[in-house]
Amino acid sequence: MQPCFRRLLAILCSLGFATTARPALADPDRQATFDPAAFVSDYCMDCHSGKDAEAHLDLAPFQIDKKGADARMADKAFQWITISQRVMDGSMPPEDSEAPSIADRERFTDWVQTTLQRTACEQGVSPGRAPMRRLTRSEYSATLRDLLSIHINAGQDLPVEGAGGEGFDNAAETLFLSPLHAEKFFDAARVGLNYALASPRSRRQVLGAEPDANLSPHDAAKKQLQSFLPRAFRRPVTDTEQQAYQQLFADLFDVTKAYEVAMQRTLEAVLMSPNFLFRLEPTHDSPDPKPLDDHALAVRLSYFLWGTMPDQQLMQLANQGKLSDPEVLRQQTLRLLQHQERVRLFAKSFTEQWLGTRTLGREFKPDARVIKQFDAELLGGMQYEPIFFFQELLTENHSILTLIDSDFTYANRRLAQHYKIPGSFREQPRRVELPEDSPRGGLLGMASVLAVSSHPYRTSPVLRGKWVLETMLGTPPPPAPPDVPALDEVETSASAETLRQRLERHRRDPVCASCHDRIDPLGFGLENFDVLGRWRTSDQGQAIDSRGTLPDGTRFEGPQELKHLLLERKSQFARNLTAKLMGYALGRGLTFKDYCTVSEIVEKLEADEFRSHTLILEIVQSVPFRYHAGTDPAQTVTTVE
Amino acid sequence: MNHQPTHRSGITRRTVLRGMGAALAIPWLEAMQTQTLHADLAKDVDAPVRMAVLFAPNGTRADLWTPQGEGTEFKLSPTLQPLEDFKQQLLIPTNLWNQASRSGDGHYVKTSGFLTCTTINKTLGIDLNANGTSMDQVAAQSVGRQTPLPSLELGIDPVSVGVDRNVGYTRVYGAHIAWNSPTSPLAREVNPRLVYERLYRAGQPQSKTADQDKLLLDRVLDDARQLDRQLGAEDRHRLKEYLQSVRSIEQRVQRATDDTATRWTARSSFDSVPKPPAKLPDDHQEHVRLMLDMIALAFQTDTTRVSTFMFGNAVSGKNFSFLDGVTSGHHDVSHHENKEEKLKQYAIISRWHVEQYAYLLTRLASMPEGDSTVLANSMILFGSGLRDGNGHDPHNLPLVLAGQAGGRLETGKHLTFSQDTPLANLYAAMLTAFGCSVDRFADSTGPLPGTLA
Repeated sequence: MQPCFRRLLAILCSLGFATTARPALADPDRQATFDPAAFVSDYCMDCHSGKDAEAHLDLAPFQIDKKGADARMADKAFQWITISQRVMDGSMPPEDSEAPSIADRERFTDWVQTTLQRTACEQGVSPGRAPMRRLTRSEYSATLRDLLSIHINAGQDLPVEGAGGEGFDNAAETLFLSPLHAEKFFDAARVGLNYALASPRSRRQVLGAEPDANLSPHDAAKKQLQSFLPRAFRRPVTDTEQQAYQQLFADLFDVTKAYEVAMQRTLEAVLMSPNFLFRLEPTHDSPDPKPLDDHALAVRLSYFLWGTMPDQQLMQLANQGKLSDPEVLRQQTLRLLQHQERVRLFAKSFTEQWLGTRTLGREFKPDARVIKQFDAELLGGMQYEPIFFFQELLTENHSILTLIDSDFTYANRRLAQHYKIPGSFREQPRRVELPEDSPRGGLLGMASVLAVSSHPYRTSPVLRGKWVLETMLGTPPPPAPPDVPALDEVETSASAETLRQRLERHRRDPVCASCHDRIDPLGFGLENFDVLGRWRTSDQGQAIDSRGTLPDGTRFEGPQELKHLLLERKSQFARNLTAKLMGYALGRGLTFKDYCTVSEIVEKLEADEFRSHTLILEIVQSVPFRYHAGTDPAQTVTTVE
Repeated sequence: MNHQPTHRSGITRRTVLRGMGAALAIPWLEAMQTQTLHADLAKDVDAPVRMAVLFAPNGTRADLWTPQGEGTEFKLSPTLQPLEDFKQQLLIPTNLWNQASRSGDGHYVKTSGFLTCTTINKTLGIDLNANGTSMDQVAAQSVGRQTPLPSLELGIDPVSVGVDRNVGYTRVYGAHIAWNSPTSPLAREVNPRLVYERLYRAGQPQSKTADQDKLLLDRVLDDARQLDRQLGAEDRHRLKEYLQSVRSIEQRVQRATDDTATRWTARSSFDSVPKPPAKLPDDHQEHVRLMLDMIALAFQTDTTRVSTFMFGNAVSGKNFSFLDGVTSGHHDVSHHENKEEKLKQYAIISRWHVEQYAYLLTRLASMPEGDSTVLANSMILFGSGLRDGNGHDPHNLPLVLAGQAGGRLETGKHLTFSQDTPLANLYAAMLTAFGCSVDRFADSTGPLPGTLA
């Protein structure tokens, strides 16, 4: 793969949807009057043309006309995305030259994006890279749990992973292996096996039928390995592999003279093998993409929706070669979505990382001197609200727009008090119907979300506005230019200004305004929620003013009207969530090549009331999910099997 | 040296008396009762050199860092005041910078690039690359096989959640200063109890089951070899990481069965540092000190000779309101905008970090080694990848080195170099003192003059 394509991911994503809080695809009327060729010629060509072009960027060969540009522009997609990003964040054209208006900057960015997206679809869909990757810490624990039938978190001492791609810890590119890992995997395998041997049920899972007068130790081991190895490697094993592990048992038995010890140590080796620790997909020599084999598909599906190894039914269907049948795949996907407990684990892993709520109690700890009445039960209620919510969204096939607004949520006893919701609650969260006038419902009413988008000691309209743009709409604002100080939100005793007044004063500076006009109003709409998301009508003696005006002049007040504004941008929200889920399902960042798949899924969602099952099914049935790239990653899938 | 790598190995009465200062919390009596005396400890003149790097995020109070005066005649700045007792063992270089980290963003390039002196790739994950091996790992790779662990990577916070779309970097970059290769950042331990157990076990391998372990690891490595034939270049790279990881266990198993004279033995007992509590402490300072104890233990026992520690990840917003006079988070305060109220807090937090560094130095100084101390045989660097957090200033980095590396460094000095002298020159000097024959490191132009003895 060309390096420039690989790096596209970063740029595409940070570009998001034209870095503005407007729909991804430009308004056709607005675009019709925009002349990209004139824009480039007016603002760029003075410096960026010819042999001596600045930064070796020569724009002359791109024959841009009103409709777009020739194929050369798509070949240099990476470069064009960088260009549009520079234009949008204001770093180009440089200060001392003639500058386009903000509206024209947006039009230019929209134009680049539209052109590239159209080209991506014209080029066809390629599956993208699927590098081998090791199990994550949580996948490891869940897999060991199912493989050995144990009820402990055997991988809890493994190092915590960082995130890559779309922001998830299952991204292949950031799943490193340090020398520390083998030690930890070794320890975890021993812990898991020891635990399994201590309970009669799981003991059988590990040792199989133990040798007796009629069964020699070697035959017992052979039998046990025949059933254990394919489960551990998540595929049929070859005779050579089977014999190799039988040999290991024989050697260990020679040394130990004890079936149980020799078997336990043999299985330790299985659990240390790369065939267990890595998710491996068969490679092939053809340059073209090929459909995944059934076992690899079972593994992808199971780790996507359950975060663990395929169960017996999936393995059986894979053994029979039936899973790749579209109808079977569909039924199995829906079956997996019905398993409450496992879908909850998926919901936990996905939402905690998508929403950033994993930081609760970790990076984000409310300041005890400012925030009173914070305890473990409230923390638990906060942590689990989005998880239970997302679980129901998936199992009940709700519209994904319930994430913007809903008439229900989940609360435990402390969280219900926190929200002033009457009724009887326990420590375990339960579903609760919300009254018509409740400020709760949807992500923006959730204490966890409102907390992680605050400072530990005070709310921040800037952080919350940024959270909405980045997490819900997928349009993170660019960082403040290096020479511009961050907006001062901290109260100084010398000043009688309110936070709102201070922020408004800063926004009079056009450099600040270009971004903060978009960011701050969204955050002000949520000011009725304190650091922990409690409802308030005043702060330090001042009445809360939750009014906001968007750059296009739209006025709103309070969280309910803010939610309505977000619902008007439902396609953009759907696009962002689709991209996030795709990135999670594929364990990689999305690239330019995936643009088209995401757009198609969003269209199907729009046609089907944004149902969550449609979203999951479309991802599972997409080319990137079901195919493995060949030796030429640029090759696309022409006829979908 | 003939003491065995058993749990209760020799410390002399003299050791205890000398180490009294910081060792009062230790159940030394218990250790003493089961001891035989090792008079030869005092004859140990050829102690190994150790190296540790302590990284602080978010820079420092720029105007309160640089000492007054030059050479051996200098007065410590307010931030460095906690190091007064160690003045003769300090080397404070002024005007160093890390040129490769000047652009990109305010924090990530200045964290992952802190010890590599290279510019990291801007990415959310794909093609993640620091474009260099970190200085500590260069050192570890030269001596790592002589000790049970080649190096020890420690931190306080797990890798921060997610990727930073705001600036376009994965937060992985903000959580690593140690790079085993340009594409392999090293995972860190954040739980002191687990570190203790790891050190303890690494130091005393189970020779009883070594034969079994060997069979088992052979099987696993053979699986990897089979697999290697089927993989493309990119996947092979991951498999290489895996092999390296498994081989580190293999080496330990081999060491356990090795009866030759070169066999590693612990240089001291594991009793000098108490076993940390099973529960992760809530208190930040306690957590930090327990981790620093682990470095001291690892160095004293010679379980490793190279270690890095991160007080926090890049952009750490750690709430420092547990300190008197501080009401906010670290990153927030570092963007002080020259406002008195924030500057005051920034100063307190900066000084607190130096106090913890001083704690480690005290620990190491209380560990006798022959006629010397572990500190005197070490070099412990403290620093940040940026100077003033307000402007993400990469010039004149706040750095201080302590310990003479067994007499290889000339300490007790504040040295002002010409503006923008490469940070890599300091690293070149440290690597030279460590005994690595390196001509140059990253963009170094030679070891910093006036540092090597």
